[in-house]
Amino acid sequence: MIRLGYVLRDALQNMRRNVFVAIGATVAVFVSLVLSFGALVGNEVVASNTGQWQEGEHIAVFLKDAADGITSADHISLQAEVQQWTEVLEVRYVDRAEAWAEYQELYKDSPAVLGVSDPSVVPRSIRIKLNDIDSFEDVEFRLEGHPAVRRITGQGEVIKRLSSFSKTLKRVAIGIAVVQGSAAIILIANTIRLAIYARRDEIAVMKLVGASNWFIQIPFLIEGLIEGLLGAALAVGTVWFGLKYAQDNFDVLDFLRIEVSNGFFARQGFAYLVFGASAGFFGSAIGVRRFMRV
Amino acid sequence: MIRLEGVTKVYEGGTAATRDLSLEIPKGQFVFLVGPSGSGKSTLVRLILREEDVTRGNIWVAGKDITKLPRWKIPQLRRSVGTVFQDFKLLPNKTVYENVAFALEVLGHPRGVVQHQVRQVVELVGLAGKGDRYPHQLSGGEQQRVSIARSFVNRPPILLADEPTGNLDPATSVGIMRLLDRINRTGTTIVMATHDHAIVDAMRRRVVALEHGRVSSDVDGGVYDESAARAATPVVPAAVPKVDPAESTAATKVDDADDVMVAAVEALEASAPDTSAGTAE
Repeated sequence: MIRLGYVLRDALQNMRRNVFVAIGATVAVFVSLVLSFGALVGNEVVASNTGQWQEGEHIAVFLKDAADGITSADHISLQAEVQQWTEVLEVRYVDRAEAWAEYQELYKDSPAVLGVSDPSVVPRSIRIKLNDIDSFEDVEFRLEGHPAVRRITGQGEVIKRLSSFSKTLKRVAIGIAVVQGSAAIILIANTIRLAIYARRDEIAVMKLVGASNWFIQIPFLIEGLIEGLLGAALAVGTVWFGLKYAQDNFDVLDFLRIEVSNGFFARQGFAYLVFGASAGFFGSAIGVRRFMRV
Repeated sequence: MIRLEGVTKVYEGGTAATRDLSLEIPKGQFVFLVGPSGSGKSTLVRLILREEDVTRGNIWVAGKDITKLPRWKIPQLRRSVGTVFQDFKLLPNKTVYENVAFALEVLGHPRGVVQHQVRQVVELVGLAGKGDRYPHQLSGGEQQRVSIARSFVNRPPILLADEPTGNLDPATSVGIMRLLDRINRTGTTIVMATHDHAIVDAMRRRVVALEHGRVSSDVDGGVYDESAARAATPVVPAAVPKVDPAESTAATKVDDADDVMVAAVEALEASAPDTSAGTAE
């Protein structure tokens, strides 16, 4: 038989009465979560980039041609040989027609370039997809010595660096979440303790007239929950705007596409809201517990 | 309504506040608990409210053994026992009306019920028209009336009053006693711990005297100091210490001696134990 309206009003009244303390707790949650959430989203940006590259072909091997005494048969046998290697998942031969189509697509905005080009300028190549991106150095090393190979371009180095960066970021995100999250819980526990102290006379009367422990506690638990939720919402909002800002201002970097799917952001944002709310709730539960001894 | 059986309370540090105390208070009775400071009156009140746990013994309130009550059920006990204290315990930032309403609101009663009952009880205690005042705008007697209104607003079957007139002048105290008497006549059992001789003597209700945590006398329609009263009629000082001397500690022996002296010396009459109690505090 607990009146929700009464309890809610009580919680808000608490926060109004100790408005600076409530702001302090909210900001504490905000700061702790904005760092962690920012790191998480940053990691997702990097991971989605590496993912894109990992899914594509990892190594392009441009081949010598008739001018160097290499025939199409050599090309085919190289492709067959590479296909045998255990590191290799897939090998695709790109002939002149296909290479020309790619070239046209690539320079479709530069008619001047296309105007002076014809299919004979584009080299044929084989494209290699690896089982594991980490083996790219081995594969490239072996290809380098082959007589039919003119030039090798690979994204292995970049991908490898990015994926290790991504792993580090993830660890940082989790580390920050743990350390700052516990700090936020302690801060909220203290905030609630202050709020209880400010109302100790009222609580004494409540106990005297037989208010249930739940009834006494709930406004404080709600206060903690609101502070946690508010801090988390601020953090998620800040990261969202940060992301938009980065997209508008730094998306000229062609090696890194600043993009996070809305689905990911919504899911993780929601998780952080829940985390913030629970941190607030548990912090407040810790703060309240000691006062509930009869 | 209230029954204590062999109740012993030993505080941490070994101070015994009540010793094997038994007492039965039937429904609707008005009982004074008297005795010097440290005799166990306040402890008794706290035990009945389960603000303290007994060391030994049992206490039944409204048919339930509250010493076996699980912690989460204590609020229910307190809802059936109204409490009034010497220091009123009003919330200074709430008006008379809000102070009384608070007691119902925190029990989760709907607003309509709260309004109705609060208005009724504020009228009952004689504060109609003062509902919007704050405690600091009221006299001590009026504040105590608010406190009584708060304790009685949900119509508990029992009212515990721990020195309700302790901060009030005699004239005001009489008003408070009239109010408590009126509440008693609605069928509410009232237990009042007090030092106030004049009130006890005037009311002529059951008087339970405590000494060193035991019942030293229990008289219906009695006066504050039964031993002194009895001593006053026969010339022989009839008051013999009721506490087994073998069990008395050094400290209690001093008190015993005081009591014997008080009982014996007619001239001191009833005011002496009160004064000694006052200085002991």
